[in-house]
Amino acid sequence: MKVAVNMVDLTPIFSAIQSVFPFECMQFNFMQQAMFAILLLAPMAASMGIQVVNFRMAFFADAISHSAFAGVAIGLLFGINPQFSMPVFGLIVGLSIMAMQRKSSLSSDTVIGVVFSAVIAFGLAVVSRDPSSATNIQQFLYGDILTIGKTNINLLIILFVLLMTFQTWGYNQMLYIGLNPSLATAHRVKVALFQYIYAGLLSVVIIFSVWAVGVLLVTALLIVPAAAARNLSRSAGAMFWWAIIISITSASSGLIISAQDWAGTATGATIILCCFCWFVLSFIIALLRGESKK
Amino acid sequence: MPIIENISNCGAEVIFSDISVNIAGVHILDKINATVPKGECTAIVGPNGAGKTTLLMTLLNEIPYTGTVTIASYEHGPKHRIGYVPQRLSFDRGMPLTVLDFMIMDAQIRPLWLGKNKKAVAKALEILAQLHAEKLANRKIGALSGGELQRVLLALALQQKPELLILDEPAAGVDFKGEYIFCELLEKMRKQMGFTQLMISHDLPTVTHHATKVICLNRKVIAQGSPKETLTHENLTAMFGIHMGMIDLKALPNNDKICNESCCKHG
Repeated sequence: MKVAVNMVDLTPIFSAIQSVFPFECMQFNFMQQAMFAILLLAPMAASMGIQVVNFRMAFFADAISHSAFAGVAIGLLFGINPQFSMPVFGLIVGLSIMAMQRKSSLSSDTVIGVVFSAVIAFGLAVVSRDPSSATNIQQFLYGDILTIGKTNINLLIILFVLLMTFQTWGYNQMLYIGLNPSLATAHRVKVALFQYIYAGLLSVVIIFSVWAVGVLLVTALLIVPAAAARNLSRSAGAMFWWAIIISITSASSGLIISAQDWAGTATGATIILCCFCWFVLSFIIALLRGESKK
Repeated sequence: MPIIENISNCGAEVIFSDISVNIAGVHILDKINATVPKGECTAIVGPNGAGKTTLLMTLLNEIPYTGTVTIASYEHGPKHRIGYVPQRLSFDRGMPLTVLDFMIMDAQIRPLWLGKNKKAVAKALEILAQLHAEKLANRKIGALSGGELQRVLLALALQQKPELLILDEPAAGVDFKGEYIFCELLEKMRKQMGFTQLMISHDLPTVTHHATKVICLNRKVIAQGSPKETLTHENLTAMFGIHMGMIDLKALPNNDKICNESCCKHG
């Protein structure tokens, strides 16, 4: 697997990125890699964000992103590479929450709240036992897209292909389920199958996003482009494209701005601020159209 | 799971056998035995909390239950097709979803963000037109009135080409005129498409005008049969306690299966 993954030659993509973004900072290889990674990750997060917004799953996204902390802790505890333990643990937490939501009579925010506090407590317990591991918290909080390596980029490419396949095959069904699961079941949509696949993919995307923009801002990367897209679009197809456009433009401009000498800001935060500008614009447009309360 | 076997020979579309539902120690339904005749309009009536929606949920396999639900199989395929019109669609009204999106998401595999299939659009518009809802096609689904939404939900259910159409309180939240139009359309479509209709209704005048069979339910089956046989003073008292005398038994059609109202001319 690893051999096959490393065989993909990304040099032409990096040169293309350099010519599309003719900025001084884009001459550096690490910036080209970061740009490519964020251009893969941002549209993934935005497209999954459409369903996060439609299903009102922002709290679910929060719980998964915080499980990244516990994922790192597990890695430290058992001597596993955190880059492996984080997504695997996130996936387990995501699927467990979905299973508990489907089976339990408790409300979904209660189920998520319970899991949320458990994963945070677990992470803190491990860190408090070994204070030297606390250095990982900085990266966990703010993310660090600039240190991304080629193996991770290859993993992102695989995830991108999987996720876009899902969004092609399942977009309509996910809309159906988002509208009303009972109606979808009666009309022969495989609700459970789609919900589990979605929860699994969303968990992995969230974990990768934590590592790009940090745990504090990961939910924003998911829901701000989708929320702005919702303000701007009048149909389900348009919402998808608006979310993609907003995420790509915000991600690329955020990365470039953060690398300018006059800015010198954290990349994740700058990207989210760009998304937020889009949101404000979309909100004003929605107000002008008189659609804000509908 | 509903057991699907060939029961079409005995003229029944659905047979509920010994259906019991217990939720947190409360008996919601107690040994329900009832049949829904094929090609007819069956109404489930009963007071609030009688378990009407719960009975439909067993049919849709949405809740755990004991007993068996048997659904007829059909010559043109082993899978039965159900159309479902829920009571109140609780959904996010801010979703940017047009009525046409709503119809198409069900009819094509291609994701809506890659455009709409022309055939699917034509078909959806045709069904909407039959329900006098073609003008709603480009409206946002969250901006529809109660009556308009009911018609769109009916259009979606009919798009399934259902063998069994299930309606939960089809007239809830719709004014009298809207209800009349809805019932009239439903009746027309039933004759045209030949599906079996199973509906819950609070509204006894609607039931008496449209249903050919009534299942009176209050956690157990109080009575089942034609409206005239079932909607008697004794049964209504057993179900509702004091009833308001809304049913004029003399006004019920003499022949169980024929109603002479303009909206309900059974063939």
